[in-house]
Amino acid sequence: MTQLSITPEGIIVVTLQGELGNHEANRIRTQISSEIFGGTAHAIIWDLTHLSFMDSSGIGLVLGRMRDLAPQQGETLILNPSPTMEKIFQFSGLGSVVRRGTIENAIGEIGGVYHEQ
Amino acid sequence: MNNEMTLSFAAHEENEALARMTMTCFITPLDPTLEELSEFKTIVSEAVTNAIIHGYDCDGSREVTIHAKIEDSKVTMTVRDDGNGIFDVDQAMEPMFTTKPLLERSGMGFTIMESFADSLSVESAIGQGTVVRFEKTFSPVTEKSRMR
Repeated sequence: MTQLSITPEGIIVVTLQGELGNHEANRIRTQISSEIFGGTAHAIIWDLTHLSFMDSSGIGLVLGRMRDLAPQQGETLILNPSPTMEKIFQFSGLGSVVRRGTIENAIGEIGGVYHEQ
Repeated sequence: MNNEMTLSFAAHEENEALARMTMTCFITPLDPTLEELSEFKTIVSEAVTNAIIHGYDCDGSREVTIHAKIEDSKVTMTVRDDGNGIFDVDQAMEPMFTTKPLLERSGMGFTIMESFADSLSVESAIGQGTVVRFEKTFSPVTEKSRMR
């Protein structure tokens, strides 16, 4: 299950649960892209705290949305991946955007304010 | 305990989860650590996704076959398709190389498989298909508790 929210500052928070393989990535790609193109989004936080599995399809999904956000010089942060997922991000050159901590901190780092929902 | 299994399924994307789940169940008696288990599951997912997307272009009338064998704590597994085949295996195994950028394939599948498996080999022939074979040895977590 995917939860998508956007802060007033235009930071998209994607909370992923369960498993993220090729099939699941294909289903949520359009949803996230239309949020980026249809709104005022300028940054994205991938909250993987509750994601139990991810393969290289996740890399494709994250890199694809980085491309979507490139015109706005949008930032990307990846929050709390499992050790195996973190290795996959490192292999793919995304190790520098991985963070440990709360959504609140991640939003703060990008320059937004966390609003309790 | 030594064990052996074969699983065949239609090349539908929906079956990627089936393959991951089945293979995870098959190796559970080896008491893998959480990280070993998720690395193994990732290898399975990469190999099966490759067979479906690249081998068969998602043609659900075609069949992917997994064969796996457990000998002591070592798992040997093959993922076979009789599809397109890979034009240049060395090139396909380079990080970030993909023939399907529009599908947002990252080109990291083989790099991940090679990193998480103890050994990996790929045999492929154009128009005949591809066989990915890998081995992974597990260190049972219960070993330590038994020694107490």
